Amino acid sequence: MIRAILFAFLLIAGMASSNASAQISAREWADYSKRFISSEGRVIDDGNHNISHSEGQGYGLLLAYLAGNRADFERIWSFTEREFLLRDDNLSAWRWDPSAVPHITDLNNASDGDILIAYALARAGTAWNETRFIRKAQIIAKAIGRTSVLEHHGELLLLPGVTGFGAKDRPDGPVVNLSYWVFEAFPYFASLAPHTNWQRLAESGKRLIRKSQLGERALPPEWLSLANAPKTAQGFPATFGYNALRIPLYLMRALDDDKELLRRLRDGMTGSNGELIIVDTVNGKVIDSLNDAGYRIIPALASCVVDGAKIPAALQNFQPSLYYPSTLQLLALSHIREDRPECL
Amino acid sequence: MPLISAKSATIGAAGVSLLLAAYCLDQGRQYWDAPSPGISLEVTGTTADDSYSSSDAVQLLAQVVSEESASPSETKAEPAPAEVDESALRYFARQGDTRRLEIEIARLKALYPDWTPPADPLATPTQTDDSLEEFWQLYSEGKLGEVRQKIAERQAADQDWRPPGDLLDRLALAEARERLINSSELDQYGTVISVATDNPQLLTCSEVDVLWRVAEAFVHTDREQRGYDAYKYILTNCDDTNERVATMQNASQLLSAPLIADLLRLERKDDQGVGEFAAIRNDLARDAVARGSKDAEVAVPREELKRVEETAEAEKLPSDARLLGWYYLQRKDHTVAEKWFRMALDEEPSADAAEGLALALIEREAYADAEDLMHRWRGDSDNTRIVYLAAAANLLGVEPRPLLSSEVLDRIVAEVAASKHVEGARQLGWYSRAFEQHATAKAWFITALGWDPQDEPSAYGLALTHHLFGELAELAQIKKAWEGRSERIQLVGIAPTEPAPATSMRTDQVAVAPMPTARPETTRPVRAPAAKPAASAPRRGCTNHVHPESLQPSAALNRGWCLLDVNRPIEAAKAFEVALRSGSGQVQRDAAYGQSLAYLRAGLVNDAAVAATRAPQSQARASELQTSILAERALGAFERGRYVEALVALDQRAQIAPERVDLMVIRGYAYMKLNRLGDARRVFEAAAGTGNRNAIRGLADVRNMINP
Repeated sequence: MIRAILFAFLLIAGMASSNASAQISAREWADYSKRFISSEGRVIDDGNHNISHSEGQGYGLLLAYLAGNRADFERIWSFTEREFLLRDDNLSAWRWDPSAVPHITDLNNASDGDILIAYALARAGTAWNETRFIRKAQIIAKAIGRTSVLEHHGELLLLPGVTGFGAKDRPDGPVVNLSYWVFEAFPYFASLAPHTNWQRLAESGKRLIRKSQLGERALPPEWLSLANAPKTAQGFPATFGYNALRIPLYLMRALDDDKELLRRLRDGMTGSNGELIIVDTVNGKVIDSLNDAGYRIIPALASCVVDGAKIPAALQNFQPSLYYPSTLQLLALSHIREDRPECL
Repeated sequence: MPLISAKSATIGAAGVSLLLAAYCLDQGRQYWDAPSPGISLEVTGTTADDSYSSSDAVQLLAQVVSEESASPSETKAEPAPAEVDESALRYFARQGDTRRLEIEIARLKALYPDWTPPADPLATPTQTDDSLEEFWQLYSEGKLGEVRQKIAERQAADQDWRPPGDLLDRLALAEARERLINSSELDQYGTVISVATDNPQLLTCSEVDVLWRVAEAFVHTDREQRGYDAYKYILTNCDDTNERVATMQNASQLLSAPLIADLLRLERKDDQGVGEFAAIRNDLARDAVARGSKDAEVAVPREELKRVEETAEAEKLPSDARLLGWYYLQRKDHTVAEKWFRMALDEEPSADAAEGLALALIEREAYADAEDLMHRWRGDSDNTRIVYLAAAANLLGVEPRPLLSSEVLDRIVAEVAASKHVEGARQLGWYSRAFEQHATAKAWFITALGWDPQDEPSAYGLALTHHLFGELAELAQIKKAWEGRSERIQLVGIAPTEPAPATSMRTDQVAVAPMPTARPETTRPVRAPAAKPAASAPRRGCTNHVHPESLQPSAALNRGWCLLDVNRPIEAAKAFEVALRSGSGQVQRDAAYGQSLAYLRAGLVNDAAVAATRAPQSQARASELQTSILAERALGAFERGRYVEALVALDQRAQIAPERVDLMVIRGYAYMKLNRLGDARRVFEAAAGTGNRNAIRGLADVRNMINP
């Protein structure tokens, strides 16, 4: 317990200077928000029938904070609280459809969305000295700890949602999604919700990532069954895909520089021309090649961390494309400018 | 200043008091343990205090954590009411937005009891701050996120500027209101109640919709009394008649009868003395009669019945007449039922009323009338078809056989053929036989057997016809097929006199099949009556008290049947127990069979299953017992909420017997409970195809779940 708090405080002391010092430029944020955020504060996933989800709201809040734009943060938060944070357990419903009534079309939560929202609130609240945000961050962090963190075979796991993923819910449960471990949030949660051992959760997550080397390319799958030896969960495609590609990004953003692991992930996920590849974890075949700068910047950043390679200028230039890669690119750029200026 | 005292001081203000606000807050604390961690901390100095810079993140977080253990006090600090901010009020007045103006006046009155609204809000000095004007504009358009955005922008541009407290309060309230409504739409009652508790200013007469939602949330979370309190608050304090009536309607759908009756006393009357809830009282009476029309055991208060009868007479509403018809039919008062159904049909022809009338006619053996009435409606639903066929089969079976017109006969034949109605075909066989048209009779018996090879009366009829025609090979074949299953078939051509032909279906037999008078409302189907024992031993009276141990096994067997007949199954089981000790295999078999039936009747399914195995049974009996036992098991498991077990029992039963429609309904609901919505829909669709009302409702339920 004491160790956990110490761990949290040490890390936060290191981060506390990150006071929204515009790691995202005003121009970049304007381009992003104009394109993906509605006037009412809804973050629009234009690659997915213009729906919105808790993850998107969380990213929107985090990026608004990183851009130092409190006005937009307020707008997105007002919408998020009214339209998503409706569940009795204080977590967020995950799916919001503009064409449906009621707009929430799936009341289930997605724990990465909850984590991102709480994390953005915690950071903005501390930086802007706003207890309104901190209070909410705490309520959500506690709810995540209470409902979605569980002990299993000596590891502390994060369930992807409150229902449907546990050992009792499915024969191959528990099932986790390693890209839901937003490592950088856990030190904040250690202060906000100390009843949960977030540090252990982080350590378990990293151990599981190291252990999950499936197929020829030794990559983790999107959905991992932990009933026995780690393997792809039943009913999910055995791929390293759009979810999992965030794993190295989150590790690096949390300043976790396990070079051996990052090298393995980079090598597995990079195509011959630096593009990011979606891979079948059974036979190692490439399913899709992603060329958008928002995707390419992830292996490029890993190359900087493990080999000291500079990020190509083209990847440093932000031009909004689709919601998801654009979000990833701003997350990567803000991190590089703040913590890894040597990569520029 | 504590919020609660400010609220309580406003009771009685202009009919929009915040009585409930204070009330709910108090009650909420008393009865409701906040599901959320309930962080109501006030960081010293609050937001306006610049005592720590942003680099003090650790300090702030640590403070949050340490404050968490402090007991929650007020949910919100009251801003010092130096001067009442009327800017919103003026804005809404200028916009002509009377609803918001009213809400704002109510809100300010609640906050500042000594404040009086300006006589003419338009006459007050005009707003000079243009950006405030923009805020109120966005606010009144419901663009709440944008108001937040503009406030932050203005603050960033002008460090000294502070948003008016009134604006922030109204904004937070409007956000809370939306969040409450959104959670209510998703049945997140905990969130509804916590938002309401944190924002008591929402609970006013100008927001009855919010009050309704809060009331609903209380009722759905087992706090009916709190829900009642909310309705009572509206009916005591709020004046809008439409909203009052809607409140009473909502309450009558959610509260239990005594609380509804209590609320009805708050009815107000107009100048003519007509109560505002007259229509609701009628509807409540109709609901009571409707419940009584589905279950004869349900007692309907005399005054409710009278109210519906008087309304039906006065307003001539066929729906009321039909309701009364079914009510009396359910209570076997066929004469009165017939009167109401006829009245309903006079007002408006309908399948429902025709069906009810036909059943009443069948009861008084007016089969020709029933057949004639129902022919037009036979295709309307499976129920009407069944009733038509019952009327037709009864008509054919009347002794002495009536001479029917060819028109009537033709249409009966057409419908029997189209519906593959076994009893109808069989009765056509007996009818033909009665008029010496044996070739036709033979054809009908064969047809009936083609539709149901296990129909013994048809096999018997066919056996008689083969005998008559001297078709000995065919007769022998039938006898072989029914060996051990039908004594009378074995006796065809052997007994000195031909046994009397099976005559008409008895009325109550017909009625058993089609009788939709049961119209069950609950998902719990009416249990199938325990099978009648096949044994034909003489049964003497058994009302005297005899200890079964003192009886010989064969006497005990007879006593067992007798006790079962008078519905004393536990004693019957004891008597059969003694009979089981008999040295005769036949007596043992009968005793085991009887004991199993007795336990089934008593609801002791496991004992019934054990008894069934105590002596070898014929295929027919074994399968009869097994199907009954499994059906009981399925029902029992379903009632205990063990849906998987219910399905296992149903599956086992389905392997040895066709699934009854009531069991299909149970299966559907079991799937639904297990969230196998696709399976549930498939089963309900199949069952609903028979016209079963429970199945139709189940289908609607599952469709609602799939497409809420």
